[in-house]
Amino acid sequence: MSVKVEVIEGGVPHNKIMIAGFIGTIVCLYLTYLNVLTNTGLFAFFGGLAAVFALIWGSHTIKVLCSYGIGTGVPSAGMIAFGSGTIAMLFATKFGVYAPIVAFVLAAIIGFILGYVSNNILNMRIPAMVQALTEMAVVGALTLMGFAALISGGFSFAGLTTGTITTLGMALSTHQISFLGGCLIAVAFLLGAIAIQHPFNACLGPGWKQDRMLMLTAECGFLSMIVAAIMSYALIDHISATISLIVALIGWIYTYKQYLVLSKRDAAAWLDSKPIPDVEGH
Amino acid sequence: MSAVAAKPQAGGAMNPGAMAVGIILLIIMLGICYMVSPGIGLVALIGVIIGGVLIGFGVHFVPVGGAPAAMGQAPGIATGVAMLAAGAGLAGLFGGAWAAEQGFVIAIVTGAVGGGMMMAITCMMVNFVYVFGMGIPAASGKVAKDPITGDTQAEYKSQGTEGHGLPFVSFVGGVIGGILGGAGGTLIYLELLDLYKATLPGIMSVTAAQVMPIAVSVAGIFAVALFLVNAVLTAYNITGTIEGPHDPKFKRWPRAIVASAVASALCGLVAVLIVAF
Repeated sequence: MSVKVEVIEGGVPHNKIMIAGFIGTIVCLYLTYLNVLTNTGLFAFFGGLAAVFALIWGSHTIKVLCSYGIGTGVPSAGMIAFGSGTIAMLFATKFGVYAPIVAFVLAAIIGFILGYVSNNILNMRIPAMVQALTEMAVVGALTLMGFAALISGGFSFAGLTTGTITTLGMALSTHQISFLGGCLIAVAFLLGAIAIQHPFNACLGPGWKQDRMLMLTAECGFLSMIVAAIMSYALIDHISATISLIVALIGWIYTYKQYLVLSKRDAAAWLDSKPIPDVEGH
Repeated sequence: MSAVAAKPQAGGAMNPGAMAVGIILLIIMLGICYMVSPGIGLVALIGVIIGGVLIGFGVHFVPVGGAPAAMGQAPGIATGVAMLAAGAGLAGLFGGAWAAEQGFVIAIVTGAVGGGMMMAITCMMVNFVYVFGMGIPAASGKVAKDPITGDTQAEYKSQGTEGHGLPFVSFVGGVIGGILGGAGGTLIYLELLDLYKATLPGIMSVTAAQVMPIAVSVAGIFAVALFLVNAVLTAYNITGTIEGPHDPKFKRWPRAIVASAVASALCGLVAVLIVAF
């Protein structure tokens, strides 16, 4: 198989991925709202799917930005995405059912100003900078909101700050056992930040293929979702948490297998070397 | 122009127009904060801005080597700004947060010492690995003599490299950067913690003791987020690598001060608005 350099330009256009990622994320986030309408926690797993959609979009944005060789390493892009996204996401949770929309708008404003700051004040002069930082702040905010919905069952400020603890058969309201009070948001922050920056960091180079990188992103997203689903046992009922965990496991196993297939496809030569045989007589 | 061919045009030049826009943005954000929360909110926002500027300025001192340093072809610590600043700053932030009960000054000093210690240990172990593991001496490529010790550098520098290892001035720069970053991160945390401790009980109609975990957690995650935003913006300013305070890139710090102030004011304003609405 010959390696073509122009393959970097190929694949699905970025705008298509952006629109699909945005719609998928918002729809999945609102599907978690069924929890509130039906008064259960069964739909929490949609939060994890929203995070995976947002991460796929975000990793392709990082590819667009980091193709310019910004000189700071790919992980820094993931860090600024979640740094600016956290702030927008926490503020948006105050708006109840409108939280995902507010998070989107506010994160876009924060990202736009940060993009202007880096492009003009810091003189980066990268054409894709403003749009990429805007998108990345949105992705950071929506991913965190997805993890919040997955772990705590909802995305309202009250839901994220209040939990219940059962002592001697009595259910008491507490603020310590909650997404914010227990600072689970810090774990969600890094689960997302690592999942968003790793795929392009791992796949970049002349052999970059879009589908392979996006499959790796989905794999990283589901891997983060597994951890988040395990953490959700602390905050939502066990049946809902188990559903989230099963969905995450199925998604991870499927995407991991697909990623292996794509990696073997793109490898120059792949040899299934068997374990070293025991040679007798030595 | 393909995406691969285009390289960043970032140089040392200042952009006075954009800087003016940045300062106007800063004043607008302070104005908005004064409108919605003139007392405690404005104080917190000013603290956050000072903390953000300290972080942005401090990162310039840290010897960031990146991938070339890992191969012994450039001086500095062999990782990116985001990782290094996060390591040093968060170490300081955690130290300062732990001492938050002891009072404002002690907490800030603890944060600064924590960040400085983290960087001192990192720089020391990095030089151990460079000297005893990779077998390379410390030599700067940017200056002929170490500004502090006066040692000449050229004899120790290998041909074809920009220097290698961690010269003494870079070590000192790293510690100063850690001190500034740790103090800045702690200052952001303390200001936001005071704000949330004072306002959240009224908003959530609970007692002050019940609100503590949420105040600590939200202030902490905001401090981390602001730290990373400021660190990455500074990384953009120095386009990845810097040797320390003697590096010519260090002269770009005024841009980072404005950028950090605008970014911190923006993020800090949102952090204040959470409890102002």
